[in-house]
Amino acid sequence: MEKSIPPFEFRQCASILKSTGEKARNLRELNEIIARVSDEAIFHHTYQYFLKGHIYQYTNDFAQWAGESLEEEALAEHLSVLDPYEFKTIEDLRSALVAAIDHYLRDFPEPREAMPGDEFHFNETITLIFPVGIRAKNLAEFLTAIKYVDAGSIYYHFYEARMRLGGGIDDFSAWIETSLEKKDLAEKIRAIDPFMHSIEEIRKHITDVVEKEARRDMEVM
Amino acid sequence: MISDYVGIAPKGDLQLLQKLGEKLRNRSFLHINSTRAGGGVAEILQRMIPLLRELDIKARWEVIEGDDRFFDITKKIHNTLQGNLDHISKEMWGYHYEVNKRNAEKINLEADAILIHDPQPAPLIEFRKTGKWIWRCHIDAANPLKKVSDYLRRYWEKYDAAIFSVARFARAMPIDEFIIAPSIDPLSEKNRELTEQEIDEVSERLQIPRDRPIILQVSRFDRFKDPTGVIKAYKVVKKYNDCILVLAGSPATDDPEGEEVLKEVREYAADDPDIFILLLPAFSDRDINALQRMADVILQKSTREGFGLTVSEAMWKGKPVIGGAVGGIPLQIVHGVTGFLVHSVEGAAFRIRQFLNNPEMAARMGEKSREYVRINFLITRQIRDYLSVWYALENKGKNVLEL
Repeated sequence: MEKSIPPFEFRQCASILKSTGEKARNLRELNEIIARVSDEAIFHHTYQYFLKGHIYQYTNDFAQWAGESLEEEALAEHLSVLDPYEFKTIEDLRSALVAAIDHYLRDFPEPREAMPGDEFHFNETITLIFPVGIRAKNLAEFLTAIKYVDAGSIYYHFYEARMRLGGGIDDFSAWIETSLEKKDLAEKIRAIDPFMHSIEEIRKHITDVVEKEARRDMEVM
Repeated sequence: MISDYVGIAPKGDLQLLQKLGEKLRNRSFLHINSTRAGGGVAEILQRMIPLLRELDIKARWEVIEGDDRFFDITKKIHNTLQGNLDHISKEMWGYHYEVNKRNAEKINLEADAILIHDPQPAPLIEFRKTGKWIWRCHIDAANPLKKVSDYLRRYWEKYDAAIFSVARFARAMPIDEFIIAPSIDPLSEKNRELTEQEIDEVSERLQIPRDRPIILQVSRFDRFKDPTGVIKAYKVVKKYNDCILVLAGSPATDDPEGEEVLKEVREYAADDPDIFILLLPAFSDRDINALQRMADVILQKSTREGFGLTVSEAMWKGKPVIGGAVGGIPLQIVHGVTGFLVHSVEGAAFRIRQFLNNPEMAARMGEKSREYVRINFLITRQIRDYLSVWYALENKGKNVLEL
């Protein structure tokens, strides 16, 4: 008898935006607020940037504002290479952001002021997590589901999971490794760089590698 | 019916609505504003209340009553919150409170969650009995007259939370402040799918030729919407591309400047037979829908704007949109992705030419626009957010809520 495999339960998250009431008009104010604002605000402006679908030029809200609103493009580039998933804690990421801006301010001590109305507003979010009523019991079902679920579900399992599980592990590869015992496939999914792709591209990459594996399984049988 | 939105709204939004509905089932949700008809707030409430009831939430909508004096005062408050200079005297503030007090005696204020829309009924908080009280600001309060916002603060700070449409409208206050964008209803007369026949009927009735590309702006005849700037941009484009311009708006009976602006626009258009200035009666929703669907490029060249939902309406129809980089327009138009943001007449002309000469790019951006609106600006997302705020207030202190 085949052993029963715990199914993969697809979940999704949605966020509601909350204002901290803090705003920065220039880089000095931005840095000073980054240093003391809540962890949730740092999290929102960096990690949750991936939820926006990579339609902007940079990779986090701070870089976007520095580049687009202040036209401090060198700093925007510097901030953009900070990969939030490389930091163990929000505190480490916060320190790196502050250090990058400090460094830039030493070289260019008179940064521009944002136009009125274009200040940086610090927000944070409340996240709601809910099951989407889709369960995959094997790789074929998983393949169908991954093509079908909302982008918010891929975000939750692929991006948000990294914070939850740590060690660069996402929910998809964790299930594939532990429940389906497909370590190679899990490794292939882990090799997808979350920082370099939009959610839709992530969906495509996962679909491609899973499809290949499913086809191979089928052919063996 | 919520099921009518299946296949239109994102699946996750509908699922979250059901989940929140299960959590808040049989609880009461009271909305209070100051008008039953007319204006965006009433329009959305008319659609939202039945949907909430379908989720087994006891939704109720009450409207405060007031006389002309009251509404003159609240109009002044509204305008000063948008930055106009005016004076609200102590007596006026007193009357604003008095009328709310009278309404509080008549309206049953008992509910589990109470959402007060805009400043007119804001003083009702003084008569709170039960539940979570939330103040919803629909207006552009980015640069309010300080004296007025300082006065209103005495009411705002007694609420459990406030909701603003855009982050920069929020202010430092000791209560929770949420950011929730307004929305459009994809099933309303203004946004539903139309048949070719319906579109043809409108173009024939309004005598809009369809043999050349159509550039459209739908807006009141208001200087902040820059209708003469739109004509200037069209005149630049016309030198290169044969096209027609349609400016469609409703007569603003409550706006003494409206007539004057319309006259200016007509003079400026002079006798160009390819400029169509349409003065549509109020509630010409289907005509506007059809005009947007027959247009090739849609403009919202405002120089000042609250949120500017006409942008989302156009985007929902898969059209490339060019908008002034003001108010809520940059939240809807992601420059170069879902349309173009412009800062001048020249910029508008250049972008119109780009779209007219690159129909494939226009179609690609139009497609992205529709998807962007689907994910961010549909009514189902707004209801989802209102219920989420209520649920979050009942679970205060938690940043992650599992349903």
